[in-house]
Amino acid sequence: MIEIDLGQCTGCGKCIKVCPVDALEIDDGKAVLTGNCISCGVCVSACLEDAIEPVIQTAEVGDLSQYSGVWVFAEQHEGELKPTGPQLLGKGKELADQLGEELCAVLIGNDIKGLSEELGAYGAEKVYMVEDEIFKNYSTEAYTTALTSLISEYKPNIFLYGATHLGRDLAPSVAGRMGLGLTADCTDLNIEEVEGRKVLLQTRPAFGGNVMADIVCPDSRPQMATVRPHVMSPMEPDKDREFEIIEESIKVKEESVSTEVIEVLEPEGKSEIPVEEADVVVSGGRGVGTCEEDFDLLREVADLLDGTVGCSRPIVEEDVMPKSRQVGQSGKTISPKLYIVCGVSGAIQHKVGIKDSDYIIAVNKDPDAPIFDIADFGIVGDLNEVLPLLIEKLEKAKEN
Amino acid sequence: MARTDLSDDRELTEEQKLFKESISDWAERNLPLERVIEMNREGYPFPEDIIQGLAELGVIMGPVPEEHGGMGLTWKDQIAIAEQIGYIDPSIATAAGFMAVETGWGFTLNRYCTEEVRKKYIQPAIKGEKFVGIATTEPKGGSDVAGFESTAEKEGDEWVLNGEKTFISGVEECRRMGGGYWVNVRTGPQIEGAPHKNMTSFFVPIDADGLEPQEPYDDAGRGSLSTSGFIMEDVRVPEEYMLGEKGKGFYHTMEGFDLARIMIGASAIGVTRRVLEEAADYIKERETFGKPLAKYEGIQFPFVERYTEMEASKLMVKKVADMADTRYDEEGWVERTGKAQTYKPTEIAKWISMIKYKVPHLAKDTADDAMHWLGAAGYSSEYIFETAWRGVMSYCVGAEGGANIQKIVIGRETLGKDYVPYK
Amino acid sequence: MRFVVLVKQVPDTTEVEVDEETGTIIREGVPSTLNAFDEFALNAAVDIKEKTEEEVEIIALSMGPPQAEETLNKCLAIGADRAILLTDRAFAGADTWATAVTLSRALKKIGNIDLIFAGQEASDGNTAQVGPEVAAHHGLPQVTYVSEIEEVDPKEEYIVCKKERDEGHVRIKSDMPAILACMPDPGFEPKIPNVREIMKAKKKPKEQWGIEELDGQEDDYGLEGSESVVVETYSPPPKEEGIKIEEEPEKSVDELLKFLDEEGIL
Repeated sequence: MIEIDLGQCTGCGKCIKVCPVDALEIDDGKAVLTGNCISCGVCVSACLEDAIEPVIQTAEVGDLSQYSGVWVFAEQHEGELKPTGPQLLGKGKELADQLGEELCAVLIGNDIKGLSEELGAYGAEKVYMVEDEIFKNYSTEAYTTALTSLISEYKPNIFLYGATHLGRDLAPSVAGRMGLGLTADCTDLNIEEVEGRKVLLQTRPAFGGNVMADIVCPDSRPQMATVRPHVMSPMEPDKDREFEIIEESIKVKEESVSTEVIEVLEPEGKSEIPVEEADVVVSGGRGVGTCEEDFDLLREVADLLDGTVGCSRPIVEEDVMPKSRQVGQSGKTISPKLYIVCGVSGAIQHKVGIKDSDYIIAVNKDPDAPIFDIADFGIVGDLNEVLPLLIEKLEKAKEN
Repeated sequence: MARTDLSDDRELTEEQKLFKESISDWAERNLPLERVIEMNREGYPFPEDIIQGLAELGVIMGPVPEEHGGMGLTWKDQIAIAEQIGYIDPSIATAAGFMAVETGWGFTLNRYCTEEVRKKYIQPAIKGEKFVGIATTEPKGGSDVAGFESTAEKEGDEWVLNGEKTFISGVEECRRMGGGYWVNVRTGPQIEGAPHKNMTSFFVPIDADGLEPQEPYDDAGRGSLSTSGFIMEDVRVPEEYMLGEKGKGFYHTMEGFDLARIMIGASAIGVTRRVLEEAADYIKERETFGKPLAKYEGIQFPFVERYTEMEASKLMVKKVADMADTRYDEEGWVERTGKAQTYKPTEIAKWISMIKYKVPHLAKDTADDAMHWLGAAGYSSEYIFETAWRGVMSYCVGAEGGANIQKIVIGRETLGKDYVPYK
Repeated sequence: MRFVVLVKQVPDTTEVEVDEETGTIIREGVPSTLNAFDEFALNAAVDIKEKTEEEVEIIALSMGPPQAEETLNKCLAIGADRAILLTDRAFAGADTWATAVTLSRALKKIGNIDLIFAGQEASDGNTAQVGPEVAAHHGLPQVTYVSEIEEVDPKEEYIVCKKERDEGHVRIKSDMPAILACMPDPGFEPKIPNVREIMKAKKKPKEQWGIEELDGQEDDYGLEGSESVVVETYSPPPKEEGIKIEEEPEKSVDELLKFLDEEGIL
C-alpha cells in the first residue's frame, strides 16, 4: 500500500510515468490512486517531493480457501531452464496430490515457449508464461511485478522457488511487497494438518545446519518457500503429459526498472556445470596444490563421473579457481549425490556447505583431518597416488 | 571440541572489552602463537611490522594525555590491554618491550620531559616510529637503584654524561629505529647514608656522540627483544633533556618502576590464562591409560589451583590499577579517572610490589606445571609452554625489580622502616 | 549522504545445540558477535565515506535485545557515526517479515537515506530475506550478493557494484537510493578498530527506540506480527559413522569402488 500526501504533491506526473500497472492518474492537479495498485513502491522512490509514502502492512488475505494450486517458479538463464524448476515440480507433484490441487509452473523471460514444453514434460499441469523484452534478463523489479500480478490474479496456495542466488533475491522481494510469510532454503516440505487445515510444513536448517526447524505460514497465502537446489528429485520427463500454457501479458515500463547489468565479469563456459547443479562434485583444497594444473586429476575424475570441480576457500584466495566454484559457508551450499573431496582438512565453514550431500568421499593424508568426521567413505592417503588409480579403474569400468 | 575460554570480562567496560577483542583479532592475523615461537627462536630485533601494528592498534602509552598525543586512558584501561598483550604473546617480549618499557616508563617520561623531547621522541614512539626505554642497571648496581656510578657535569648549557648501563631492554631495536633512554646519573657527590640524593634523570638519544651500544646478550628467553647495554663517554645533552628536577631522579625513577610493574603484573595474568587455556585443550583431548589427562586428580587439581591463583591475582592487579588511577591530583587526571588522590605513593608501591613479586612467578610456575602435564610435548617448542616459561622467567629474576627487592618493599610497609634488611 | 547499515548480533559460533526437552536453542554461555556479512557491509560503507569528498553520515541500525548494544559499540568503533537499537519486548520472536517491518518503520523515521547496507545473510538464521523485504517495503531497488561497491555518484544518483549471480560475477548499475545486501569475496579482512577509535566511539550518539518511537500497533511486531511460525526446532539426526580406511592405495581404491557399487551410486 502507498499513501499520497496531497499537500506535498505538485502533480508533476513522474509517478504515473513509472507505475508499472497504470494505477495512478492526475485528478485536479494531484496524483490519485485507482484500484489497480500492486504496492510495488516504484512511485515512492520516483517522487521528487517525498509526497508518496509506503504504508507497511500485511495484506488482508480474507478467506484462505479461495487460494488453490501448487506453483513452482521455473528459473531460466539465457533461454536455458535451470534444474531447480523440474526438481520443485517433482516435490510439488507430491504436495499437489495430497491437497488435491493443480501443479503449475511460472516461467518468465522472452522467447521461451520451448521451455514451457519442457516444464509440461516434467509434470506441470499449467504453465503460466510471461514473455516480453523487459523480462529477457532478470531484474528484481520487473520479475517481482510480474509475480505479484499473477499471484493477485490467480491466488495460488503454495509457491516454491529454488534457493539459488536468483531465487533468494526474488522470493523475499515478492514476500516483502505482498506481506507474505516466506521460509528460506528448505530441505524438506510436507503437508500437515494443523487445526483442521492442511498447511505446508517447511523444514529448514539454521545455524549452518546444526539446528533444524519446522515452520508454517498459518495466515498468509500463498505459502512461500525457497528450496535448496538438488534436494528434491524431478520426475522422469514425459513428452506425452498433457498440460496447458497460459500466456499472460504483463507490461512493465522500462522506467520502473532501476538496476541494469552493465558487464558480465566471469562468463563461464557452457560446458562447465555450476557446482550447485551438478550431481557429482569433485572438490579440492590446499592439499591439492595452488596452481591450476594441480587440479587436472580432479577434473579427470569429474569428467569420468559427468560431474564438475569445486574447491575450498583458500583455492579462491590463491586465485586458482573463480569464486563461483567455491564450496562452503562463504561460497555455495551444495547437495550433490556424490561429493568427492581431496586435500581439504574440513574446517567447519566447509563442512556446513556440503553436509547435505548424499554421499561424501574424502581423501586426505592426515588421518585426523576433521573432514573424515562427516565422510561416508574416507581414504587416508596421498591423493596423487589414489586419484590416478581411481581414474584408471573408472576408465576400465566404463569400457566394460 | 570448542576451545577452552577462561576469560571473565564481565567487570570490564564496553571499551575495555573492545580493546581486548581488537588485540585478539589483530594477533590472529599478525601474531599467532606459531609466529611468537618462531620470533623467539630467530632472536632480535623485534619485527618492525609488529611494532607498527601495535602502534596502529594504539596500545602503546595509552595513559599519556590526549593533548600530548596519547589516548588519555586510565590505568584500569591499560591493564586490560596489557593482560591481552601477555595473552597473545606469552613469550613476554611484547609485554616487556611495549607494555613495561614503552608504556610504563614512557608515561612517566612524558610527565617529566620538556616539550622538545616530547615532540622529538615520545610522540614518534607512540606512533611506532621510535623506541624509548629505560636504562638504570649498571655493572655495580641493579636492584640497588641508588648504588650507581654514572655522572653528569654541567658545561655551559650542556650536561656531559659518563658511565656504563647494562642489561637494558631494546637497545638494538632503539639503535635501528632511533629513539633514546631514560638514564640516571649523579649530579653531585654521593652522600653517605643517603645514596639516592644528587641523583638526576636525563633523556639520552641513542645516536648521541660518545654513546656506544654493546653487543646483545644471549638470553634464556623473550628472544625476540634484545637485551644489551651502552657505554657513555662524554655524551653531551642540552639542559632541556633533563627529566624533572635536578636531584629528584630517584623519586621520578621509582614512579616509572611502579607503573612498569603494573604492566608486568597484568601481562603475567594474560600469560597465565593463555598457558592454562592451551594446556586445558591438550589435557581434555589427550588420553592416557584409557582416559583423558584432565580426569586425573594429579593434573586436574594443580590446574584448578593455578586457575584460582590467577583469578585472585587478577583481583589484586585490578586493585592496584585502581590505586594508580588515584595517584595524581593534577587537572585533567582527576576528571579522567573520576577519582581524587587517596593513597600515599608508598602505599601504592607496596601493592605494586606484591603483584610484581607474585604474578610473574605464578605465570612461570603455571608454564612449568603445564610442561609436566604435557610431558615431552610440553617441553618441545611445538607448544608455547617452554617459550612462555623461559620468557616470563626474566620477570622472576630481575626485569623491573627482582622478587626479593619487592619483598623488601612489602616488608618495609608492613613491619616498618626499622626492619629494612639492608639498613 | 546518509548511509544506514543494518546489523545483527549473532552467536559467535554455529555450533549451537538444541535443548532436547524444550526444543529451543541453548543461548546461554554462547558469546555474541557482529554478524560477519554485516561487518563487511559496514566496512564497505566506511570505505566509501573515507574516499569520497561528500559529507557522509553512517548510522548503524539493529534490532535485538538490550545486550545488542555491544555490537553497536563495535560498529561505532569501526566507523559508524551514530547507532540506533530497536529494542522492545514487543519486538521479540519476529520472523523475517516482522523484522523487516520493524526496520522499515525505523528507516522511515530516520529519513533522507541515500544508501542502505545489509549483510547478505546472518550466520544464525541464514535466511537472506530481511534486506530484500525492507527494499520491497520502501519501493527501493535492491542489489543482493554485492562483493564490491565500485562507484557512488550522489549527484547523478547511481551506484555501480560488483555482484555475484549463480553464473558468476557481474557489474551492475542501480539508481540511488538503493539497498545493498553484501557478501565479501574470500580474503576480505575487516578493519580492526584501534584504541583511539574505540575511545572516540564512546562519545558518539547512541539511541534506543521501542514501540513508542515507531508507528503501529503492538501486534504488527515480533511474534504477533510474524507471518511464519516455528512449530519445532530440533537437532538434525546424527550422521552415521562412515568408513575410514588406511591401506595401500590399490586396496583403498578397490574398497571405494566396491562401496560406490554397493550403494548404487555409480
